[in-house]
Amino acid sequence: MAGVRLEGIYKKYPGSDKASVTDVNLDIQDKEFLVLVGPSGCGKSTTLRMIAGLEEISEGKLFIGDRLVNDVAPKDRDIAMVFQSYALYPHMNVYQNMAFGLKLRKFKKADIDKRVREAAKILDIEHLLDRKPKALSGGQRQRVALGRAIVREPQVFLMDEPLSNLDAKLRGQMRAEISKLTKRLETTTIYVTHDQIEAMTMGDRIVVMKDGFIQQTDSPEQLYNNPKNIFVAGFIGAPSMNFITGTISEQGGAVRFKAPGVDVSVPEGKAATLRSKGYIGKELIMGVRPEDIHEEPVFLEASPNSIVNANVEVAENLGHEMYLYLNGIGSDTVIARVDGRSGIRDGASVKLALDMNKVHLFDKETELNIFDN
Amino acid sequence: MSTYEWLKPLEKIMNRPLTVMTIKVPEWKEIADRAETVSVESPDEAVSVGAWIEHDRKLWMVAESNEKQLAVLEMEALDLDLKDKELMGWSLRHAANGLKSGSEQGASESEKLAFKLGEWLQKQLEAEEPVYSLPDLMTVGSRLYHDMIPFLLVAEQSSVKQDVYPELEKLLRSFLSDDILLIPLKSREWLIWGPLSLLKDEDAEMLEHAEEETMEDSLASIAIGLHEMLASEWLGECHLAVTHPISPAKGMVEAAIMLRETIHLGRKFHIGTNIHLPWMLQLERLLNAIPESNRSKYLEQSLKRADLFVEAEMLSTLETFFSLDCNVSETAKKLYIHRNTLLYRLDKLKQETGLDVRQFRDAVLVKIILLLYKVTKRN
Repeated sequence: MAGVRLEGIYKKYPGSDKASVTDVNLDIQDKEFLVLVGPSGCGKSTTLRMIAGLEEISEGKLFIGDRLVNDVAPKDRDIAMVFQSYALYPHMNVYQNMAFGLKLRKFKKADIDKRVREAAKILDIEHLLDRKPKALSGGQRQRVALGRAIVREPQVFLMDEPLSNLDAKLRGQMRAEISKLTKRLETTTIYVTHDQIEAMTMGDRIVVMKDGFIQQTDSPEQLYNNPKNIFVAGFIGAPSMNFITGTISEQGGAVRFKAPGVDVSVPEGKAATLRSKGYIGKELIMGVRPEDIHEEPVFLEASPNSIVNANVEVAENLGHEMYLYLNGIGSDTVIARVDGRSGIRDGASVKLALDMNKVHLFDKETELNIFDN
Repeated sequence: MSTYEWLKPLEKIMNRPLTVMTIKVPEWKEIADRAETVSVESPDEAVSVGAWIEHDRKLWMVAESNEKQLAVLEMEALDLDLKDKELMGWSLRHAANGLKSGSEQGASESEKLAFKLGEWLQKQLEAEEPVYSLPDLMTVGSRLYHDMIPFLLVAEQSSVKQDVYPELEKLLRSFLSDDILLIPLKSREWLIWGPLSLLKDEDAEMLEHAEEETMEDSLASIAIGLHEMLASEWLGECHLAVTHPISPAKGMVEAAIMLRETIHLGRKFHIGTNIHLPWMLQLERLLNAIPESNRSKYLEQSLKRADLFVEAEMLSTLETFFSLDCNVSETAKKLYIHRNTLLYRLDKLKQETGLDVRQFRDAVLVKIILLLYKVTKRN
């Protein structure tokens, strides 16, 4: 097994003056499960394809282990890829599909047989070895594609949205299986997805990308709790973080955040930072996660300085929880996630409290998190 | 002009630095007129490899030549006698011959035939009035009269060398079948003929309830599999086109023309796609035939809000919507957005452009606008 190191990687396509991937630096540890996540066109797949050798690197250095592999062909990089399309070889049966790469690498027949059968056992597809891909379901095909990667026993697995062609139920199941599998095989894995649930549940670390730039590389917890900028804050989490534009002011020693329908007190720790960084009197953006807006009486009583009043546009009850689409907090619709048994209905007027210890404040110009060091 | 792999060893033998430069034939003749010594050669003859000129203590010797230009070696001529020069000229002639026939030397019969076919085919593709049927001499008995599946492969990587033929042929034989024909065309371009047996479906009986696969579906899945294999087990990204089976003897030129056009259209209209299928590019073919000025004029007239079509989100929304036959639910699912979000985007488009892609007539217009926009944008 091996780590993967990207040093100042750029991708520029001919005829385009803008780079698709800009100055990507990553040090992926041996056995790590790293997820690249971001909206479509953010450069995550291009980055993976450069690691795979499917795209030439315009600038920068790529190391697999200690080997510089910029000019090494994909087949010689000791990697195995699983892609969204999981293009199986249609004229070969499952066994032949899994054995082909080993055959090319001149493995002995007995070794090939051992590896294929072991992988088939792990993936529970032993009974399908004689079938052609056409006779398999989507989930089974995906397992074969994984099997084809596993038998190679590569230094690194590269996966590009491998589950996106599966239905929701199967996707959940395969998600857990891939996590289990990579842990068991202890193989470094780089996984591309646009699905933040996959990112949050599978990754040891997550890289959030936008417009070809890395926005933040961190553990799932850090990304969720300490986003570096508005983009990361809005991208990670569903429903997304709410953003309210307002002004910071200081009255009688208390720092307050004011916006249409909002006049709340900023806790002292955060207030001190705002003072020291010169934000008093300035406009900034407050980010509040839906679960940090509370309707429970106990919380309201304990937070008299962060009460807001709002009208419920729509109340979506999912059973265990309820999403409230609210008017009156700032100028845009705000979503709150409350208890499914709260009994709140469409059109109701509600009193809520913001958990000001958990809100994030962003500079309006740079969009960076003010509390990030 | 090729790479000069022999340059280093020659430098070592000659014990002096050698420089390769490219000059035009008339320039060479001009220098020859002024030179102190020249190799015996009639001024009217074509300049051949090994010819040399000595002037101002420098020696220039032709390493490669074609009708228009020459690759010339330049070196200090101080201590070289006539024998040295003749010996070097002889070596260069041998090196040039070796390069010319390198691919054929030690090559198998099938490889020799493939190179001959490639040369013939290339000539026909460049000719104004190509000959469409293969000459009898090249048909190898009856083999090329049977229908086969034609693929055109274009490699992207600049690292692909000229001498890759045996490796690629071996790879294709192990992947597709022994019964393939690989014909080299331009550098990094190959015409591959695969056997019809690839389309045979031995598992058909297992698929009682499955929808019957069309010939196009089968060809597409073979192309996808082949592309995946070439990308991961060979040199990386490549473009691949496939078309309906035809006998190579009769359809060699026709298939090559069609596949080249397919890859050209695919790369032009669908950047980022690597597998190109002619039956999926009918509209693109038609639009490509419209003169550029007419296309631009049409775009100008039909786009009320050009910027809306430039937005990546709108582009991907519309492309997914069209690829899923204008099915709202499927599109929302594929894009991982709520159905209402998709409807909002489509309403926004309607509001801004007056085109409602849920209506067939407008959908056709928007599809055409998108295709034209992609091409004009790049010009």
